[in-house]
Amino acid sequence: MSSFLSVRDLKVHFPTVDGIVKATDGLSFDLERGKTLGIVGESGSGKSVSSSAILGLHRRTSAQVSGEIMLDGVDLLKLSDEDMRRRRGKDVAMIFQDPLSAMHPYYTVGNQIGEAYRVHHDVSKKVARARAIEMLDRVGIPQPDRRVDDYPHQFSGGMRQRAMIAMGLINNPSLLIADEPTTALDVTVQAQILDLLQDLQRDFDAAVIIITHDLGVVAEMTDDVLVMYAGRAVEYGSCKEILTHPEMPYTWGLISSIPDVSGDTSAQLIPIPGNPPSLLNPPSGCAFHPRCTHRDKVPGDLCTTVLPELLPGTRTEGHLKRCHLTNPDVVYEREILPEIAPDLVEER
Amino acid sequence: MFKYRKRVFAVSAAVALAASLAACGGSSDSSDGDGTSGAPTSDEKGGTLNYLIFAPIEHLDPQRVYVGRDITNLSRTVYRTLVAFPISDDPEVANTPVPDLATDTGTNEDGGKTWSFTVKDGVKWEDGEPVTCEDFKYGASRAFATDVITGGPNYILSYLDIPTDDSGLPAYKGPYTGEGQELFDKAVTCDGNTITYHFNKPWPDFPLAIAGLHMMDPYREDKDNGDKSNFQIFSNGPYKLDGAWDKASGGTFVRNDNYDESTDSPDLRRALPDSIVFNIGQTTETIYDQMIQDSGDAQTSVTSQSVPPPYYNQIEGPVADRSVNIDSPYTYYLVPHFRTEAMSNPAVRQALAVSTNADAYVAAIGGDKAAGVAESIVNPAVVGYQENPAFAGSNAGDPEAAKQILEDAGVSMPVKITYTYPSSETNDKAAAALKDTWDQSGFEVTLDGLGDTYYDVIQKPTKESDVIWGGWGADWPSAITVTAPLFDSRPNLTKNSDGQDYGAYDSDEFNALVDEAQNASDLDAQTAALQQADVLLGEDVAYIPLTTTKFYMLYGSKVTNYTTTPASNGYPDLGAIGVES
Amino acid sequence: MFAYVIRRVFIGVILLIVMSLVTFVLFFASPVDPGRYACGKNCSPAQIEQTNKALGYDKPVIEQWTDFLKGVVVGREYPDDPALRAAAPQLVVECPAPCLGYSVVNSVTVNEELKERFPLSLSLALAALLMWVTGGVLFGVIAAVRKGTIVDRGIVALSLIFYAFPAFFIGLFLLKFVAIKWEIVPVPVYTPIAEGGLGLWLQGLFLPGLTLALLYMAGYVRMTRAFVLESMSEDYVRTARAKGLKSRKVLTKHSMRAALTPLVTMIGLDFAGLMGGAIITETVFNYNGLGKLAVDATVTYDLPTIIGLVLLLGTFVIVANIIVDVLYAVIDPRVRVG
Repeated sequence: MSSFLSVRDLKVHFPTVDGIVKATDGLSFDLERGKTLGIVGESGSGKSVSSSAILGLHRRTSAQVSGEIMLDGVDLLKLSDEDMRRRRGKDVAMIFQDPLSAMHPYYTVGNQIGEAYRVHHDVSKKVARARAIEMLDRVGIPQPDRRVDDYPHQFSGGMRQRAMIAMGLINNPSLLIADEPTTALDVTVQAQILDLLQDLQRDFDAAVIIITHDLGVVAEMTDDVLVMYAGRAVEYGSCKEILTHPEMPYTWGLISSIPDVSGDTSAQLIPIPGNPPSLLNPPSGCAFHPRCTHRDKVPGDLCTTVLPELLPGTRTEGHLKRCHLTNPDVVYEREILPEIAPDLVEER
Repeated sequence: MFKYRKRVFAVSAAVALAASLAACGGSSDSSDGDGTSGAPTSDEKGGTLNYLIFAPIEHLDPQRVYVGRDITNLSRTVYRTLVAFPISDDPEVANTPVPDLATDTGTNEDGGKTWSFTVKDGVKWEDGEPVTCEDFKYGASRAFATDVITGGPNYILSYLDIPTDDSGLPAYKGPYTGEGQELFDKAVTCDGNTITYHFNKPWPDFPLAIAGLHMMDPYREDKDNGDKSNFQIFSNGPYKLDGAWDKASGGTFVRNDNYDESTDSPDLRRALPDSIVFNIGQTTETIYDQMIQDSGDAQTSVTSQSVPPPYYNQIEGPVADRSVNIDSPYTYYLVPHFRTEAMSNPAVRQALAVSTNADAYVAAIGGDKAAGVAESIVNPAVVGYQENPAFAGSNAGDPEAAKQILEDAGVSMPVKITYTYPSSETNDKAAAALKDTWDQSGFEVTLDGLGDTYYDVIQKPTKESDVIWGGWGADWPSAITVTAPLFDSRPNLTKNSDGQDYGAYDSDEFNALVDEAQNASDLDAQTAALQQADVLLGEDVAYIPLTTTKFYMLYGSKVTNYTTTPASNGYPDLGAIGVES
Repeated sequence: MFAYVIRRVFIGVILLIVMSLVTFVLFFASPVDPGRYACGKNCSPAQIEQTNKALGYDKPVIEQWTDFLKGVVVGREYPDDPALRAAAPQLVVECPAPCLGYSVVNSVTVNEELKERFPLSLSLALAALLMWVTGGVLFGVIAAVRKGTIVDRGIVALSLIFYAFPAFFIGLFLLKFVAIKWEIVPVPVYTPIAEGGLGLWLQGLFLPGLTLALLYMAGYVRMTRAFVLESMSEDYVRTARAKGLKSRKVLTKHSMRAALTPLVTMIGLDFAGLMGGAIITETVFNYNGLGKLAVDATVTYDLPTIIGLVLLLGTFVIVANIIVDVLYAVIDPRVRVG
């Protein structure tokens, strides 16, 4: 039996005058109801483009989307525009990154939340408004019956994000995509929002995709993790596996660049050198090779000429990685771990 | 683009001034022979005639109106005068006044210093009141209120036998303040229905003056509200104004019930249309688009605008049958500035005259449909016109002859001179055409095209121009309204202004001839003196004639008796024109 | 908000006073002698001087200006000479406050002139506004929605062409061919609603309105297209789409609402400018509005009329600015409460 959400070989290509931008190039993953998938990567790695494809937000005139997105047995990519529109916001909902710009400045919060309800339910404005108040209450907005008539700019950042969540969940979606839901918020509010998301996921039994570049969020929220680089998955597996035994130098870089808030001053914060690659002219071979510090461990010019397959890693079947290194686990333990978490190494 | 209308009713203010100041014409002759054209003739009364005009009319007050077109239009419709010019193609006839409101053409005594007229019985204002001698007297008094009655002809101020005050202006200040009223009451007297004017010098051409202008028209004192009456028409003619005049859009004349045809003459007013609509404001191009198309109201329309040169090629076939191309009363000329070193030398002026290419000038301003070469500053239609011998012969400019004159006089060449003129696209072209021949003739010409301030600049004694452009038209068909006001140094040259004598020509001999003309007791003697004066101007090269402006006008296909006569200043003569029903 | 408007009005009044002074000074800085123009042909220097005195142009500029301001506040009587007024009361023209002066050229108070001309310019501006905003927004939105297609390119190219044409060209073309040659519509004549009813009023306004509309529409098409395209890439439009809203609703409710807000400013200011008269269009179509009045006044050195027009147009622009600002607060809640 296939999964609730099953994405196979998803490609999102944007034709431009300079050539084709391959924003997502062959992405596959699965997700069950009640589970959470984290998609991690730098800006421009294809996270948001891929999730927008699941929502069918790309315009046919500007983007070529191919592959297969099976949701509950239906291939979303084969649906007509109108059928897809009917599912959008109802079966699949999305919470956007910056709630200030993601909400229309000229309409009240209640209007915008209610609108999301009325699109899919033939009810009066009054009913929609009541439902909006209910949802605002649900996401923890105090005095929702009053705040419902406020404009987005009158809300604090955290409240706006709660309102966005209310908007996303008002139709009981079975799949919720949260695109950087906490990036624009300060740390204490981040935690509240994440808690809220977890609570709601439990209540609604939705499948959730969280798009983030913050491995802290991943650690707290997700069951599975998909690491993306240059439009492709470079590592995929359970949250625990990926965070404790990453086998791809890019993932190592991500982990190394997390500031350690536990107060361990001996830990180093190591940024990934270089810049994300151009999607118009991706590097030959492994897209990460220009920035990879472990290239010399691979014989010959394999890294620069041959694109590595996404294959099971050294530890478990379910842990996939896209790298030519033959012994990534050893490299990680010997070279990376001591630098980012010396205390952890000593404990062992 | 230099549109024809700009020359006569201009958009550019400098040219506007040139036009309106020089717009009070004597007459014109239809030398081309198609002045009174092939328009159908008819005695049919009725219908509505449209008269299309571009720029707003500035004054309808008889004592203030001073534009040739407006003078004739008002004469033929609402403002009768003591004597008037009859409708005729023959300049001789058209320039000879006939009785209108007066019983005869006036009698003079005292060598032309005293003129008397008797007002006809039975002539009435539009409210049925009779036109009286007192009305004439009041009308004549209004021009003295120079702070209220502005813009009109003011000859009467210098002619009427009233002493002047310290400022050199008459001691009588007009009817409103009444200051010096007793002086005026002595100068103009009423005896029953006979009005007598006492002048301080002979005015042999007085009948021409009152036929050519409205300054001596009667005016009803009870209707006079000063400047507020500027656009009021209180008629004593065959038509009256229906409702109010709108300066921007015009007005409609309808028949005046209190007009008695028997007091008038068909030689002056046939009054054929039942109404005349003055339609103001359409651009000349729009007017001609409609006139050429000739549908709807355009069929019963006439216009004072001339065909713009870009439209010349559309005037062909049946359209051309509805056109006239005639000499207008307006002349363009050049004056040398006598104060400058170059032009104070007679040989240099002579060389300038010989090398002036009037043919090229005509070509530059639109060709022979727009203008003809002038042989005198006096218009051919003026009584006593003669070609000035100094400018006889070729008009193409003769560089060789000019150089010879300069060489013989020992003038070192090139002679550097500046030519000042009102700038516009066409005028710039025309100036360049003149410069071309001058430069070949031993001159080195700097062109000095001026904007709106043209007349303010050239009237300043401090100007540095060597050659100055001018335009003029006679006020009535006598050279006394041409050469005298333009070249008599005495009224013109003051400390701060050169007046109309832009070239600062100052000749005792000429002034003496003007006095002779002024004091002549009859028209013939006056004319002879003026002819002599023009010859003198030619010998001194006080001016160089350029062109006589031509009118080139269309009329609608249902317009009858279309005619433009010297009496109508070259414009469509509303005394004759009718419309087919 | 109220205090803000009061402050703006106050600044506006000061601005108008300064504008009137500048106009006075500029007028008298030119070497043109208005008295010589008014006096007529054959005027001796003494007569010209007298005419200038009669017109009040002999006084120092500052005194003329303060007289003018006094007239605005308490009204004036003409002629300016008290002795003449006393001797001949029938000559007196009452010009009650706010008196903008008396046009000697037109023999009428400036207030009456403006009052008579204003309805034409307003009608013309309204007709043009209606056509250009409808057309501009419609074509602009179509171009934006069909971005990159032949429709888009056609609209953009056409609007560029009209943008490049001068007003007199479009006006003359419409008048010469559409009205006169082909007789598709009658030669436009302004008829007030009170006289000819709505139909004749609209008929008279059609061609001149269209001339202005085509001229302005070009710019509005291009702006609308740009603003709509910009707003379509806004996050909140993506949000609206993610809700499953129909694309028409996304466009009308979310995208255009934001895109048209900056247009309001431009519409307000353009409209105010047009109410002050469309000089070329009014001249071409012989529309006796404020624009044609301005042309005539300039040609005839009619200072009082020029001043009156400058102040009226200035007032329009200032008031339009205030209205646009207030309108902004109504449209954009961030300005209102923020």
